[in-house]
Amino acid sequence: MSKKLTVIPEQCSDCRICELVCAIKHFGVNNPKKAAIRVINTYPHPVMRMPVVCSQCRVPACAQVCPTDSLRHVDGIVILDKETCISCFKCVEACPFGAIYAHEDCALPIKCDMCGGDPECVKYCPTGALRLIPEHALGETKRLNNVLSYTQMREIEFYEKGEKKTIRYAEIGKEEL
Amino acid sequence: MSIKSGYFKKHLTVDLTKGSAEYRELSDAFLEKYIGGRGFGAKLVWDNLRKRNFKIDPLGENNLVVIAPGPLTGVYVPSSGKNSFVAISPATGLYGDSSIGGGFGVELRQSGIDVLSITGKTPELSVLFIDNHETEIIPMPELKGKTSLEAEGIIREKLDVQTAHIATIGPAGENLVKFACVNADWGRNAGRTGFGAIMGSKNLKAIIVRGHEDLPVHDINGLVAEANKAYDYLREHKYFKMWQQQGLMNVIDYANEKGILPTYNFRDTVFARHDQINGATMLNDFKIGDTACFACSMCCGNICLVKNGKYAGTVVEGPEYESCAMLGSNLGVDDFAAVLSGNQLCDELGLDTISAGNLVGAIIEGYEKGIISLADLDGHDITWGDDDAILNLIRMIAYREGIGDIIADGPRRIIAKWPEMDKLILEVKGLEQSAYDSRAGSSMALAYATSDIGAHHTRAWTIAREIEEGQNWSDDERVKTVIYHQKLRPLFDMLGVCRLPWIELGLNERRYENFYKYVTGNELTLEQLLVLSNDVYDLTRLINVRLGVSRKDDSLPYKVHSSPPLTGPNAGKVVDKESFQNLLSLYYRERGWDEDGLPPADIEKKFED
Repeated sequence: MSKKLTVIPEQCSDCRICELVCAIKHFGVNNPKKAAIRVINTYPHPVMRMPVVCSQCRVPACAQVCPTDSLRHVDGIVILDKETCISCFKCVEACPFGAIYAHEDCALPIKCDMCGGDPECVKYCPTGALRLIPEHALGETKRLNNVLSYTQMREIEFYEKGEKKTIRYAEIGKEEL
Repeated sequence: MSIKSGYFKKHLTVDLTKGSAEYRELSDAFLEKYIGGRGFGAKLVWDNLRKRNFKIDPLGENNLVVIAPGPLTGVYVPSSGKNSFVAISPATGLYGDSSIGGGFGVELRQSGIDVLSITGKTPELSVLFIDNHETEIIPMPELKGKTSLEAEGIIREKLDVQTAHIATIGPAGENLVKFACVNADWGRNAGRTGFGAIMGSKNLKAIIVRGHEDLPVHDINGLVAEANKAYDYLREHKYFKMWQQQGLMNVIDYANEKGILPTYNFRDTVFARHDQINGATMLNDFKIGDTACFACSMCCGNICLVKNGKYAGTVVEGPEYESCAMLGSNLGVDDFAAVLSGNQLCDELGLDTISAGNLVGAIIEGYEKGIISLADLDGHDITWGDDDAILNLIRMIAYREGIGDIIADGPRRIIAKWPEMDKLILEVKGLEQSAYDSRAGSSMALAYATSDIGAHHTRAWTIAREIEEGQNWSDDERVKTVIYHQKLRPLFDMLGVCRLPWIELGLNERRYENFYKYVTGNELTLEQLLVLSNDVYDLTRLINVRLGVSRKDDSLPYKVHSSPPLTGPNAGKVVDKESFQNLLSLYYRERGWDEDGLPPADIEKKFED
């Protein structure tokens, strides 16, 4: 089963543990600037913390611009061939998400390899903002949230055994359509 | 044993008057003895004091401000985003420090230095830009009067530094308000002892850092294994989830239940409407996101949004317990949206929320008692819970308008103007007391009285133990506990990590000797590290003593001795004067200081080189 590394930005706290464990795993050094994942944060409009990491696209923009064909799919992961890469960094510029990185000390672009299928960042993320989910389940949470936030939903508060609860229901037939 | 790694051995010194930036080598002996953070700061400030014959105007060119992360800052250790600011404080005229979380210190270290010190003054409002190994002082007069967050936004855009870390000051800092703070990462603050005013006095609006060096670690595999054990421990803790959700806001309920929540300028210690400003209220109606310092899994930071009412649209990184208590219950404010707005206003203006809440409370009480007149307030009537008047007064402080000009100079000037205010302001050495009432426990009072920066709980926090132990606790134990705290808690500030994993979730403090060992290669036991931390405590005492401090200054606010809380579990309690003096004598003896609180004369030799 093919799994995707997905990001739930609403859950991210910007602690950057993902950056640290990524850099330690791949370079053996304590340097978040050598990670293949970075948390980008904006404030206050909008308040957003977004880990930016490779999506392992089926049609990778990075591979399309690579002059030496060094970025290739291997079992659903876009892998950089370190032997043939000429460090032109065209891929860094081409990625529409900016999810490939560069560092002065590193000869090659820094790109997520999913740690061979068991990403460190997912393992150590303390808030559940990074998850590994089956490809066929992609978008499930979004769909559910979308349904829950349907604009014609109404809310009432009530008490059950002394505990305050809310129930949401769809207002049928009373909206001006 | 000796230092094998963990440091760049570089000290960046910036002289704003000369416009120079210079890298100096740090010796192994210095690194070993002072560790980092406030240790480095205390030593460099001490050297500067000696060079200047102990004559330093805190807001003058010669005041050296030291910005120091520690050897663990930014490494794979829980909550390693801490960084200390150290200087002679404009609030107290004595040793001052304040630590800031987030990622500023990490970025500073990644620029390849262990410590940054700044002296002098630029001719026009400027920013200091440290871009890895290049340092530049850039005049940016257009930032004049901009709030902390506005300035951060403008700098990001103009200098094209979207991912840099930026520490700024607001109008309060520019106007030399003595409790102005430094703001970084959109809402983290070096809050106490007036670092905003120090930067303001140097015409330094912001410090921008961007770095990408590897942080030196002696044994990365050992460190990762040890840190993973610590992270696992925290994750399994029964209160871990609660910490992620509420952070320090959970303390409101606890403080209220135990009767230590400052209410109506410490007139009381329980707040009837505390449940309108507690963690649950925040979670239900205001919180929109978590925020964490670097490498911290506990993410105690909250991001709140006011969704409706007159404060709709207010976004704030916070609040945490201190801000919420000092701007909430202490001012009789029971509207959480108003507390958030106050917090945001303080962040924007660059004011310390603790000092601001403390002094505004005292002013309201002074006005109520007739010590301060309506004319003194320029006709702005003010009372408990009147959020409009409170926010207006906070604004007046930052811009030094009317009575704000007097408040901006801190407790001593207020008391000079209205001597009776002495009975209403809670401060030690000129620093306003933070949000844990001490009348329930004399050791907490001792902690405030003997803290090297003034009435702040950063050095020792014993109130929880006081509440647990009640009267079954000997003075001897009290003194020993305060001193143990004063050794251990500053050690975290020296290492450059947060103490909350230890203090709140009980992470074994022994782990830190291992973290230190894996990072530096220097094998010291916790006890040996505590000796080094204690030496720094002696040094900060020495600094204060040379600036005139003695037993008379280790004193308590009037209310702590003479004005008991009115209701709640600690109603009627005060700290008895005579027994406090006995406790203080016991404390001095235990520390090896004399009856007047002076360390032995030969102690200076220890800090000579």
